[in-house]
This record gives sequence, C-alpha cells and structure tokens, in this order.
Amino acid sequence: MILWEQLGINELSILMMLIVVFTVFGLLSRRLPRYITLFSLLWGFASAMFFDFTIGGGLFDFYQVNDSPRYELFDLLYYILFAPISYFFIYFYERLEINKKTFVWYIIGWSTLGVGANWLYTQLEIIHFHSGYILPYSFVVFLIVQTITGLYYELIKSRMLTLVNER
Amino acid sequence: MGFALFFLLTYLISSLFIVMKKKLNIFENTFIFLLILVININFSWILFEELRFVTVAEETLSYIAFLLNRSLIIPMILVVYVNLFHTFKNKSRRIYLTILSLGTMLLLVGVSIFFQILTYVNWNIGYDAIYFALLHLIAFYTYRFLIKFAYREVNYL
Repeated sequence: MILWEQLGINELSILMMLIVVFTVFGLLSRRLPRYITLFSLLWGFASAMFFDFTIGGGLFDFYQVNDSPRYELFDLLYYILFAPISYFFIYFYERLEINKKTFVWYIIGWSTLGVGANWLYTQLEIIHFHSGYILPYSFVVFLIVQTITGLYYELIKSRMLTLVNER
Repeated sequence: MGFALFFLLTYLISSLFIVMKKKLNIFENTFIFLLILVININFSWILFEELRFVTVAEETLSYIAFLLNRSLIIPMILVVYVNLFHTFKNKSRRIYLTILSLGTMLLLVGVSIFFQILTYVNWNIGYDAIYFALLHLIAFYTYRFLIKFAYREVNYL
C-alpha cells in the first residue's frame, strides 16, 4: 500500500469532498436510530469496496481508482466517501417517506445522481475506465446496489420493529 | 472442480445460516458480515496484489471460487460462529466451536491450495491461522460493541 503516486487534482478533490460530505453528515446525524446510522455507514463503505475490489481490480479489472493500480491511501479515502452518502440515502428515504409507489423513482433518482458523480470523478481523474467499460454501465451497478440497499433497509426496519414489539 | 466445490460450500453455509436459530438480530448479523467482508477484502488484496506473498489463479472459474471464499464463505462462517457461540452456554462447547470454525477456515485454505486457486509464495498456514484467530476475536468483540453502543437513544426525525 502506498500513500499516493503523485499528488494532484484527484487527491485534492477527494479531500474536499470528504470535508463537504462529513460536514453535512455532522448536521444530519443523530436524526435516525443509532443502529441505522451504523448500518448505513458500514453498508456504503463495504459496498463501494466490494465492487471496486471485485470488478475494479484483480482478474475483472474494468476501472482504476486514482493514479495507479496499486492500493493508495486516497483509494481508501475514496471508499470512505461512500459511508456518509449511504447515510444520506437512508436519511432522505425516511424524510421523503418513500413507499411502494415512490420506491422506483427514488432509486432511479439516486442512480442518475450516482452516474453524474461518476462522470465528475472521471473528469477529476479519480476514476479511469478501461477494458471496454463505459459510464452507462455504472447506471446498472447503481440500480442494483441501491435497489438492494432500499429493500434490505425495509427488511431491517420491519424485523427490528417486530423485535421491539416482542420485547 | 474447485469452483463447483466452493459454490457448494457457499450454498451450504448460506443455507445453514438461514435455517439456524439465530441469537443475533438482523442488524447485528449484517454489521458483523460487512465488517469481516471489509477486513477480508483489504487483507487479501494487500497480501496477494501488493506484497505478492500469495498468488491467486488467473483462470476465471478458479478466480470466482476465490471471490466466493473471500466475500461470502469466510464472513458467513464468522456470522454463524458468533450466533452459535452465544447459543452455547457451556464453556467446552464454545471452545470446540472455536476450534471447529478455525479448522474449517484452514481447511478451506488447504482446499484452495489443492485446487491451485491459491499458491503460497512467501506465506504459510501458521500465518493464516493467526489471521483467522484475529478475525474470530474481531467478530466476537464487534458483537459486544454493538450491544453496548448501537441501541442508545437519539433524536429521531
């Protein structure tokens, strides 16, 4: 693991984005039950890492994060970015009172936002696509991840509510 | 052959988890699974790709077998382990369970080497045993941490 290959616009952008998302997270945190906060933070971090280390490295290498295929400190900081973003997904899910009728639109909205962010990351040289991978494929990845996130969150909510009622 | 075996093992450990009587709730199980997943992904990447102490097969199905072991089987074994550990009240049963769980993980490494999914370059099974023992400790203390801190009240929306 190295710290960075060459300090540039990608590292600076990651640091700035981290400051922004964690400031917003600080303002919005403590609004959801603590276990939901813990779950959403780890879920975002783990899913970013899972996808990057499954289809973004090793044998299935469709994109590279930052300047080198080696594991950099800023790769890790990039994955940490996804932790508060996952919290925002759950936060607004509750805030907007998403239900069966609005679920699909919520997912499509977030997936579009995700593709927009991905495009920005390519401009900022944080992500470099290769091996035939193009930006629209990210929409498929976001659709899958966010649908699973929404459905799994609903499952956790219902199971935890049952537990509370049983006690 | 290696892929088929690891696929079967993924199926079996997932099925065991689904049918077993669980001591932990869905949030606790998910949290431990994800945490172990993150640690295991990082550990294997640093060991295999950065330090090159172990090499992983480049044949597609063997590589998928490695991914199944890394991302599903190992985290699931630890989730099942923590559930069973807290189901058993007897100390000796808990010790047997820990040995069984650790032994299963080491056996998986042996199977991976047998099917040439993994090749040790500058590594040995003793280091893996230490790493798996640490994973067990992390899973165990994560559950303790969750019981203590995850359910404190906060201001709701």
